Amino acid sequence: MSIAAGLEKIRALDLSMGWAGPLVTEMLAEMGVQVIKVEDTRNFDWWRGSLSMGPPEMQPVERSSVFNTANRGKLGLTLDLSRPEGVAILKRLAAASDILVENFSPGTIGRLGLGWPELSALNPRLIMISLPAFGSEGPESNARGYGMTIEAMAGVTALTAYHDGGAPYMLSNALGDPVSGLHGMLAVLAALHQRARTGRGQLVEVAEVETVVPFVTGALLEYQLSGRTPIPLGNRHSTAAPHGIFRCADDTFIALGVHNEDHWRALTDALELSHLAEDPRFASADARKHNEDALEAELRPAILRLGADAAASRLIAAGVPAGQVNSSADVLADRQIGARSFFVPIDRAVVGTHLYPGAIARLSATPLDAGRPSPMLGEHNESVLREMLAMSDAEIARLAEDGIIGSHPRSRP
Amino acid sequence: MIFDALNDTRVVDLTHYIAGPYATRLLAQLGAEIIKVEPPQGEGGRRLGPFHDAVATDTAHIDRGALFAFLNADKLGVTLNLKHPRARELLCHLLATADLLVENFVPGTLARLGLDPALLLDRFPKLSIVSISNFGQDGPDRDSPLNDIVLAARGGWTYAVGDPAREPLSPPGSLAQYVGAVYAAIGGLQALLARDLGHGRGQHVDISLLEATVATMIYDTVTFQYTGIVRERAGKRYAVGPFLLVTVRCRDGYAGLHCVSDLQFQSLFAMMGRPELAADEKFSRAIARMANNDELLAIVEEFFARHDADWLYAQGRARAIPIVPIPTAAQVLEWEQLKARSYFETIDDPVLGKLRVPGGPLRFTSNRPAPSRPAPRLGEHNRIVLGDRLGLATDELARLRAEGVV
Repeated sequence: MSIAAGLEKIRALDLSMGWAGPLVTEMLAEMGVQVIKVEDTRNFDWWRGSLSMGPPEMQPVERSSVFNTANRGKLGLTLDLSRPEGVAILKRLAAASDILVENFSPGTIGRLGLGWPELSALNPRLIMISLPAFGSEGPESNARGYGMTIEAMAGVTALTAYHDGGAPYMLSNALGDPVSGLHGMLAVLAALHQRARTGRGQLVEVAEVETVVPFVTGALLEYQLSGRTPIPLGNRHSTAAPHGIFRCADDTFIALGVHNEDHWRALTDALELSHLAEDPRFASADARKHNEDALEAELRPAILRLGADAAASRLIAAGVPAGQVNSSADVLADRQIGARSFFVPIDRAVVGTHLYPGAIARLSATPLDAGRPSPMLGEHNESVLREMLAMSDAEIARLAEDGIIGSHPRSRP
Repeated sequence: MIFDALNDTRVVDLTHYIAGPYATRLLAQLGAEIIKVEPPQGEGGRRLGPFHDAVATDTAHIDRGALFAFLNADKLGVTLNLKHPRARELLCHLLATADLLVENFVPGTLARLGLDPALLLDRFPKLSIVSISNFGQDGPDRDSPLNDIVLAARGGWTYAVGDPAREPLSPPGSLAQYVGAVYAAIGGLQALLARDLGHGRGQHVDISLLEATVATMIYDTVTFQYTGIVRERAGKRYAVGPFLLVTVRCRDGYAGLHCVSDLQFQSLFAMMGRPELAADEKFSRAIARMANNDELLAIVEEFFARHDADWLYAQGRARAIPIVPIPTAAQVLEWEQLKARSYFETIDDPVLGKLRVPGGPLRFTSNRPAPSRPAPRLGEHNRIVLGDRLGLATDELARLRAEGVV
């Protein structure tokens, strides 16, 4: 038994682009929910990139690593939502669906005639997930938000700087995007649960910034309790030392942290620094924290002598929290990630076979399936319209002729 | 804020510190009843900071870290010493009516306590068990130690952050643990949905914090396979490409810029009083901007340095250019947008007093949310949960307390 019975009868429409919204429906597809990704041949998902990235015969919009990862297991449908015929078809699809996910700018979906009042009147069981950057109301509801802006406005960026000062840095993963997408998925599951009880769907608003702020609650509380603005700790820790990132022989880095006396003894043993274990400057947690600069100066050359792999292995074996600072290539080669077969191979049209990150929740009885490819633009136009809306071949051909559907990307107007 | 989506769901919560408690906090905010079971000395998260200055030196109150007060609001608090057979029996009584058991012990701990997940699933067919761990329930490093800085580093978040001339910069705090927590809450609800839609039975859900971290590194692992390119530290630029994703010094601090599309660049050039740049072949198209990125950044830096962050933010909003100030914790608490949405709520904590905390990440529209209740004091609900619900007499509860069972 793989996917739970019953889930394949649930249908989701994905009107979103980028990462946050598509992540919601990608996780639904992993469960076996039938997901229809709706794009337009002009206004296709921006994560596909743009036509200018290569000549047409290279099919540039089918070669995006991020699009091809975030949209796995979905059916690809195109509809021109700038025309009434396209909107009418989308309404028919929404009437026959359980879930709709959108991350247009606030107000856009209402202008298309696809707002919550219209859609819930058509289908009272519909669950709609809306992912505005800052929320649909409030003085800044219309402000643009992207993964990076969300991260800054949530207070993460002000905390992301080296301990000795200087500019703040953005994270490398557009944190606000996956975090709001995960919360969108949480919202879908809770709303499905509630619908089983009440028979009714609902609109759930996931204001992206509001999903990230809780992650810095520690800093918000520190300010309230002390009256002081928390300063960035960089790679250091408020009480533990040593705690940081150290360069190794092969121009790689390891991260490590010493949080108790066991860790400290293990560190000095593993790095053969018994003289430090005797050193009164480092004799207690408070002393080590107080003399952290000197301590790091002692550790740096000892770690620089070792390769990252050797350093991390020694420290881990000794019981110290430590690990290599993994690049994307290193992550693919990480022994723990590999041992659990986290990455799954997928053969995707145009690009061939690659490894993609698997599903996170390992469900023992109804495992998730993250191993299906992302759709080509408009790949499933005919089958979706035929099977969901019982359209005839002639009707579908006419829609293609009129440019309501299509499978060739066109330049944006 | 508490919604009612899961108000027929009961969770037994054996978690400690951050990832587990935030997972069950999310379920509490969705309406589930959470019975938090701690050892009699309290879980370690009670002793995580920040502390109230007056409380930090007061050993009677040292089990009241403020983060605990946030992470465990809206939970019922029970103490059980699971090393004691009678405590395990009481736990099983709680599991008999529970939908989910959430735990983040070191893998293998439940089995050592005689509470092997497979046995529990057999005994309680409706129950699902969510196990959150650093590395997952198997694999060569399953039992290795881990902390926040190592989790972010090994999970691929850290490598491309920071100054190329020095060591990489770790993301702050416990962000990756919180991400894992959301995945765990999702996993629990996935198991519930599978049960209710047809599978009929509960199951075991294994969540690895390391894998959750890898899954949220913007798919650089896939990009590397497509292109052979490893994303390196790009300094204040979040990435190098046909765009500008940067933190830029402005007159009174720093601002962030996330400029991607032709239209956004045209608006940016207009804002800077340099509309002619939009027609300049060095900057007009994405590929050209990639080749001339340094020159473009220098132009932006020169302009930003002459203006305040708030002015730049307002201009950006008016012109649909993603420019952000970089607010501190204090400024986030005072941000008008969040205030207008009544985002923060005040928890009146019995020890710490009034705390303003995020009220919840989701807005369900089917019902008005109820306010949150403070986190439980150690064993606060022993009488209600163990006495009233499980039927333990007052004298038996007193005896179990004397024996160190509760």
